Amino acid sequence: MDILCRKIPWRLSKFQKARQRKRLRAVDTVVATLDKALAKQSITTKAVERWKEEMPIEQEMVPKDKYTIFDRKEKKYRKSIRKLPKWTRVSQRVNPPGY
Amino acid sequence: MSFFRITLVRSGIGLTKRTQGVLKALGLRHRMTTVFYPVTSEVAGQIMKVKELVEVQEVDKPLTRAELRAERRPDPGFYLERPAPR
Repeated sequence: MDILCRKIPWRLSKFQKARQRKRLRAVDTVVATLDKALAKQSITTKAVERWKEEMPIEQEMVPKDKYTIFDRKEKKYRKSIRKLPKWTRVSQRVNPPGY
Repeated sequence: MSFFRITLVRSGIGLTKRTQGVLKALGLRHRMTTVFYPVTSEVAGQIMKVKELVEVQEVDKPLTRAELRAERRPDPGFYLERPAPR
């Protein structure tokens, strides 16, 4: 009975996808604001520089990276991002290359 | 001297002690709390730790608690022509 009650679809619905994109954009605007404010005073922070180097912005991301994450146990090495705990409050943008 | 206006939009419940510690250090007690901090690399690093939970604006001067409450108070919809004699 538990298996019947706890099923969640693999894919996100279009509304969930829209909200996920909105959340990614919100984080992008926060980082952009920080960057602009620090640049006015010509200071740099390691955290901001590292984020800008490593993490893509929402526009640069492939849909596969926005809605799924890498998992080595799955058949196609990808699982739904909803399965990541606190996925709405954690940044997960980069996956191993090629998967 | 510019300031960061930081508003907590998503709570830190269920997140790590470290993240919750950052929120406590910033003084973000509950949702929709707004705090003002000067623009420094230290504060920027703190915001980067909680950037998914927070909204940030850059402002010129910090507002006091009274000013923040006045922001949220709606227009009364009337004005007093003549105060009543007491």
